Amino acid sequence: SLSSLSLPSLSSLPKTSSTSQSPINIWPKPRIFSWPRPRAVFLSPDFTILSPKHPYLTPSVHRYHRRVLTEHHRSLVAPAVNLTHANPLQTLTISVTDLAAPLQHGVDESYTLTIPGAGAGASVAAATVWGAMRGLESFSQLVWGKPSRVAAGVVVVDVPLFAHRGFMLDTSRNYYGVEAIMRTIEAMSGNKLNVFHWHITDSHSFPLVVPSEPDLAGKGAYGEEMQYSPEDVRRVVEFGLEHGVRVMPEIDMPGHTGSWAEAYPEIVTCPNKFWWPAESGWTDRLASEPGTGHLNPLNTKTYQVVRNVIQDVAAMFPEPFFHAGADEIIPGCWKAEPSIQDCLAKNGTLSELLELFVNSTFPYIVSLNRTVVYWEDVLFDANIKVNPSTLPPENTILQTWNKGLNNTKRVVSSGYRVIVSSSDFYYLDCGHGDFVGNNSLYDQKPGTDQGNGGSWCGPFKTWQTIYNYDITYGLNEDEAKLVLGGEVALWSEQADPMVLDARIWPRASAMAEALWSGNRDETGKKRFAEATDRLNEWRHRMVKRGVGAEPIQPLWCARNPGMCNTVHAS
Amino acid sequence: MASSLILSLALSILTLSIPSTLQSSLPIWPVPRTLQWPHPHSILLSPNFLISSPDHRYLTLAADRYRRLLLAEHHRPLVPSAVDDAPAPPLKSLTITVADLVSPLVHGVNESYTISIPPAGNGSVAVLTAETPWGAIRGLETFSQLAWGNPTRIAAGIYVSDWPIFGHRGILVDTSRNYYGVDELMRTIEAMSWNKLNVFHWHITDSHSFPLVVPSEPELAARGAYGSDMVYSPEDVKKVVEFGLEHGVRVLPEIDMPGHTASWAEAYPEIVSCANMFWWPAGTKWPDRLASEPGSGQLNPLNPKTYQVAKNVIRDVSAMFPEPFFHAGADEVVPGCWKADPSIQDYLSDDGTLSQLLETFINSTYPYIASLNRTVVYWEDVVLDSTIKVNPNLLPPENTILQTWNNGPSNTKKIVALGYRAIVSSAEFYYLDCGHGGFVGNDSIYDRKPGTDQGNGGSWCGPFKTWQTIYNYDITFGLNEQEAKLVIGGEVALWSEQADPTVLDSRIWPRASAMAEALWSGNRDETGKKRYAEATDRLNEWRYRMVARGVGAEPIQPLWCVRNPGMCNTVNSH
Repeated sequence: SLSSLSLPSLSSLPKTSSTSQSPINIWPKPRIFSWPRPRAVFLSPDFTILSPKHPYLTPSVHRYHRRVLTEHHRSLVAPAVNLTHANPLQTLTISVTDLAAPLQHGVDESYTLTIPGAGAGASVAAATVWGAMRGLESFSQLVWGKPSRVAAGVVVVDVPLFAHRGFMLDTSRNYYGVEAIMRTIEAMSGNKLNVFHWHITDSHSFPLVVPSEPDLAGKGAYGEEMQYSPEDVRRVVEFGLEHGVRVMPEIDMPGHTGSWAEAYPEIVTCPNKFWWPAESGWTDRLASEPGTGHLNPLNTKTYQVVRNVIQDVAAMFPEPFFHAGADEIIPGCWKAEPSIQDCLAKNGTLSELLELFVNSTFPYIVSLNRTVVYWEDVLFDANIKVNPSTLPPENTILQTWNKGLNNTKRVVSSGYRVIVSSSDFYYLDCGHGDFVGNNSLYDQKPGTDQGNGGSWCGPFKTWQTIYNYDITYGLNEDEAKLVLGGEVALWSEQADPMVLDARIWPRASAMAEALWSGNRDETGKKRFAEATDRLNEWRHRMVKRGVGAEPIQPLWCARNPGMCNTVHAS
Repeated sequence: MASSLILSLALSILTLSIPSTLQSSLPIWPVPRTLQWPHPHSILLSPNFLISSPDHRYLTLAADRYRRLLLAEHHRPLVPSAVDDAPAPPLKSLTITVADLVSPLVHGVNESYTISIPPAGNGSVAVLTAETPWGAIRGLETFSQLAWGNPTRIAAGIYVSDWPIFGHRGILVDTSRNYYGVDELMRTIEAMSWNKLNVFHWHITDSHSFPLVVPSEPELAARGAYGSDMVYSPEDVKKVVEFGLEHGVRVLPEIDMPGHTASWAEAYPEIVSCANMFWWPAGTKWPDRLASEPGSGQLNPLNPKTYQVAKNVIRDVSAMFPEPFFHAGADEVVPGCWKADPSIQDYLSDDGTLSQLLETFINSTYPYIASLNRTVVYWEDVVLDSTIKVNPNLLPPENTILQTWNNGPSNTKKIVALGYRAIVSSAEFYYLDCGHGGFVGNDSIYDRKPGTDQGNGGSWCGPFKTWQTIYNYDITFGLNEQEAKLVIGGEVALWSEQADPTVLDSRIWPRASAMAEALWSGNRDETGKKRYAEATDRLNEWRYRMVARGVGAEPIQPLWCVRNPGMCNTVNSH
């Protein structure tokens, strides 16, 4: 998508100095933001946005039109900008080259936003409607005050570094209502994030109503009021399209499927067993956490149910990526099953079982015109994994979550595209301790080192930790091209609607900027210091927009820029 | 108290006979000291249910509040109750008797109570007895937790006798780093009363803002608050204090001084040394910092004007807060700040010491606070700081309480060994803000090469204190019996560098509930074994009940765990 920009000609634009903070900012920071003489004009009360008609761009235009006239944002630090009283801004004109481009991976999201100094109208030029939505968001962030005013004499030329910028939500461990999901998607679009990875099902509950297999949710959801109907899914998908956010479903299998056994006990091995029996070693556990159950690859009924699920999910979600899970297949669970014991006794292996499962499902998903995303485990698990020849790279993407950059490198050097969710950096749930009960770890003699706090992926990933992560660090240019982007992930063992906003925001904003325009300034230096003040303002604005983002500093710090910094290296 | 203790010994024998599976069907939080329910069953609560209470300014309001809650809450347990709903006439009323109606809500007031609800068919009147109105309020809360369902039913044939282990059970909220509205403070106080917590320690002022409108020094808030919409007027304080009394929660004010006072300089720059300087200058070492965190400024003990202002503040604050404890701060007095002040430099060059300066400040303020009939609470630093501290002789133990926050049980021991009463807020266990990283900007600690050990996450007091960490902390660890008596209780603390109203509820709850039980009835079962496993299921239920009551407590487990008791435990020890 870089091709749509002629960067050399743009570099001649006068820039706002990187050392002095711009009086008003866009998050994520645009690639090129030229505002040589900061000033502002009022938005006319009759301000209009002229736009080509499009089923999703048009509602988006209406939304932003309402927002810029009614938001009346009050910055924490009042922008010191000369306000020109003459010539309020009357129009923003949107032009789109290709109105037909669908919202999918790699779609051109570039845009150019121009707000002239005086008199003339503003414009957003974009290759696609999705790029136009990014431009509208940027425009909205340049508007503040009551009556509304907007930065003038501005040119923004913008294009993302990474095409896949996502957030993963687990709706199985705890349930979230559709409203909470849509609020999250709306906030994602505010941050130019574009993939809502919906980890719908897992061992704990099966909230998705699958029309051809209604018993899965009928028996496996937490309750009737804790399900997603096809109509709910349609609302979420449409809402995503109106916000330029793809909704990528994940049906995690063959592991993490304890909840399927409520409807079909016969297709699930070791369902609802105690997860880690007394007196047994860790390697003999039945699941990696409480909540056991794997689909049985030897039962033909398994594939009947699975294919119905796959078919219906693909019908409900237009997204061309289909996430099929395949993480954490635990030997103990399959070994607990008599039919599998027979197979193993005849020299079968657990990896062959997984290959059987993948060979019986992967081609079917591909036949539905889907690219299949798996967790990296499918190839990298120490015990149970498939032969890479089973998974052609042109139809397969792997999502990495272990061992930081090492595994990213392993994925790309095997020729696969990768989505980075390294738990050391991008897992939003970490650092709140462990959820497993009766854990003597928290009953140590006072004075004992508490380490990282007890959760397997502790400590808590601060916004800075997330911001500074370079997801292509150590890769050569060709390898780096296979890194599609990243996703922060909220696993919900210790999260539910009560804490959703505060767990995600503003930490997901940190990744959003790192993947959109990077975490370095023009000189190549990490810009986390300068980003702090901008993120403070942005967090404040998100809160006013209705998202309960957590604070990162005392208000005093935002009011006294630089005074809360350290000038000492750690 | 003594008589109720004897009663309890008799009852504890009976308590042992209760099968533990039935306790999970009555998940009371904090669990009462003794509970007898020989034949678990329930009866309906009459739609015309009444609470008859002696006339008392606060108890009457509480009784009315609980009557409404009982009829409207319709709590739905996550694990459906397996208790028989006996066909019997409904419970018509609860009669409260209080032995001493005039006891004020102060430290050590008797909070014991008993509840007796007759078995089905054996009468329709339940009885709550208490020594004081404050004990009756505790009993009303327990009574409310014995009710569930729609229509409301209540445990029958049950007897509860209950009283706290520790007299001081509190939460500190810092309203200076970030501001909280009065409604949020009241919501917190209400949730405290559900958890039988009884002290709201209000860390009102600090270096970052001075939100309290002090009538005789109005400029302090007018200039030092974050804005005119972010102040607490005397009327606001009155609302909070009255709300506390209606809920049996004392409101203990803290005016932190002489450190942590930069915000005072907005109104009175002349009384604050090193005001608003960069906190840790480039090229200097940590011992030369001007403050322990960004936001520098300390009251100047050598300026007479300092005492004029401080005494006005002290007098007005004690007029606004009836609470007999007055917290005067005195933590983190940093050498570099005083040393940066020219008048203090002169004093030091005449062989004065920084500790003498602090003694000057204490001698000029402590007797004044004491003269207003207040017991003074200080942070432990005032006598334990390694650099600037006063001679303990200046602080008679009968009028002084020290709050510990460093070094866990070691400092608690130091405090009681000096003869002082201690309030325990050990940061390693009771600081609710820890574990979300540091708030200081431009910190390169978060920009390490991938693969570098992230340690405890970067905040000085990381990692995050889980509910289990808090629950298991024994605040009298390593003390002998005499020493332990000087530990009056504990407080979990929410410092607000990275907290404000958006996260208030989830930072506090249910972790403060963990301390609430540990300090009310302990963290061990009858056999002396830590009961954190059993507590998990009850806390889950209690967390959901708090959420339904309107507090955004964070979840501790998947819903699946609550529905499948025991299945989310580990049986392998670490």
